[in-house]
Amino acid sequence: MSTSAVWAIAHKELTDKLKSRWVLVIGAGFALFTVVISYFGGAPAGAAGFRELDATVASLTSLVTYFIPILALTLGGGMVADEKERGTLDIFLASPISVAEFMAGKFAGLVLALVISTAAGLGLAGVIHVARGGTGALVGYSLFIVNSIVLGIVFLSISFLISVLLYDRARVIAVTIFVWLFFTILYDLGLVGLLISTKGDVGTGLFSGLLMLNPVDIFRIMNFLSIGEFRVFIGLSFVEFPAFMNGTVLWSVSLMWVALPMIASYFFFKRKYLI
Amino acid sequence: MLKVQEVTKNYGPIRALNNISLEVREGEALGLVGPNGSGKTTMLKIILGILRPTSGTVVFRDRKLSERDWKEFKRSVGYMPERVSFYDNLTGKETLKLFAGIKGADKNRSHEFTSRILPEDLLRRKVGTYSKGMRQRLNLAQALVSDPGILVLDEPTSGLDPVAIREFYDILEEVRSAKKLTVILSSHILAEIEDKIDRVAIMKNGSLKAIGRLEELCIGLNIPLGITLRTDGQDDVLEGVLKEAGATELIYQNGYLLANAPGDKKLGIISALMEEKDRFTDISIREPSLEEVFFGVH
Repeated sequence: MSTSAVWAIAHKELTDKLKSRWVLVIGAGFALFTVVISYFGGAPAGAAGFRELDATVASLTSLVTYFIPILALTLGGGMVADEKERGTLDIFLASPISVAEFMAGKFAGLVLALVISTAAGLGLAGVIHVARGGTGALVGYSLFIVNSIVLGIVFLSISFLISVLLYDRARVIAVTIFVWLFFTILYDLGLVGLLISTKGDVGTGLFSGLLMLNPVDIFRIMNFLSIGEFRVFIGLSFVEFPAFMNGTVLWSVSLMWVALPMIASYFFFKRKYLI
Repeated sequence: MLKVQEVTKNYGPIRALNNISLEVREGEALGLVGPNGSGKTTMLKIILGILRPTSGTVVFRDRKLSERDWKEFKRSVGYMPERVSFYDNLTGKETLKLFAGIKGADKNRSHEFTSRILPEDLLRRKVGTYSKGMRQRLNLAQALVSDPGILVLDEPTSGLDPVAIREFYDILEEVRSAKKLTVILSSHILAEIEDKIDRVAIMKNGSLKAIGRLEELCIGLNIPLGITLRTDGQDDVLEGVLKEAGATELIYQNGYLLANAPGDKKLGIISALMEEKDRFTDISIREPSLEEVFFGVH
């Protein structure tokens, strides 16, 4: 694999997102929301002001759960459609680069844009917490940011698959919205429906396995495991997870959620565009 | 240099190319013409390695291109697709840097050609501020950024105004005079490319109908030259000379004697007319246009 070709594409993606102010707008939006949620997160209970870090993470988890997936899906959804619309896709295909180099460059550039905007946006609340509570808060909040970025990367990978399968922009948007709704709302509704219809008689192992089929739930659980009593804020206060659902397993499953759509995208791209 | 051998391309039940064989010679400009849907773009994409033929092969420098050879072959080719808008937020320079990067271009060599096409002030501007003509210049620059030996142009002047079209071909001519470049030029604007190409390949319904130099095709298709002589009224002697030399369909019109003649009789007719040069005051011989050849084939 030619690293210079991958870097050239990644650099272009990042430059494009920086110059279009995408990174700035998303970063500023995140910063605003995180500071507001950090400060006013306890308002329903009649208190305003910066709260404990765990409480902030619990509140921000809900924001990130909805915001990051749609952001990542829209970011990568144009991977093929935008290039096709601009007429540049054929230039890439006629260039001496492999499909793997093309996709790796795109992915790396968009991941960088996502990392910068997410880390900068969420980082502001972290800086405030560290300033108020010392560096003890740093590790926990950094882990939350890393989890959020991993969630973004998972959905970026899914967006690549959507983009490759449906290179038409309108169809990409429609499917993107459906995928977002499915993973953030419908899937969990389905699980609730399953619990109701079986009167809760679903084995813990099976239920945990079903949760791991949804990257949004994996993100929730990863944060859940780190925030103790504040888990009530993310709706998982009464759930007991089996021992096998630890950080290593959750990270491994997340990586699979990144790898599998990317591998599928690679093969579908070759089948669809190099025919 | 580059040969397409018995290439057929099917899209499901639809046959886009039907058993096409053609050769592109080193240093020549080959025009690929045909109506929309004739298979020109499919042909170009097969040459570029974007599409794989259903059957048949592409041979480059006497070597059949297999899956492993395409990457190396693509280093020798610059491709300028029809209508590319590029990235509005990037400058011309950043855009060229991207394509130089993916093509592994030598920075010094690429600057030599791109600076001829896009001046420094344009390179520094965002592509979003470019006119259509400027974008096509950028398109040509990216195709040449890796200093390729073969340049493939697909409808390069589509949507440009006459001034931009002229500018485009002037630049192309300048580049061709500066380096040995093999050009494959696809277009359906026949008058525009007629004097830019050495040979023409005419396609219809996925088949190659004819290929060769324009003059050869005129003779092969019996497309006549047009001869116009200015005379003082009817001249039986001149008519006799022309008929003797092979001219046909002689008529008088507004003080001119008009005649047609087969392309291969041109020298004989000129020679015969020079013997009788006192019998006319002006002469013109019109070669058949690419358009006439095109419609002759169709």
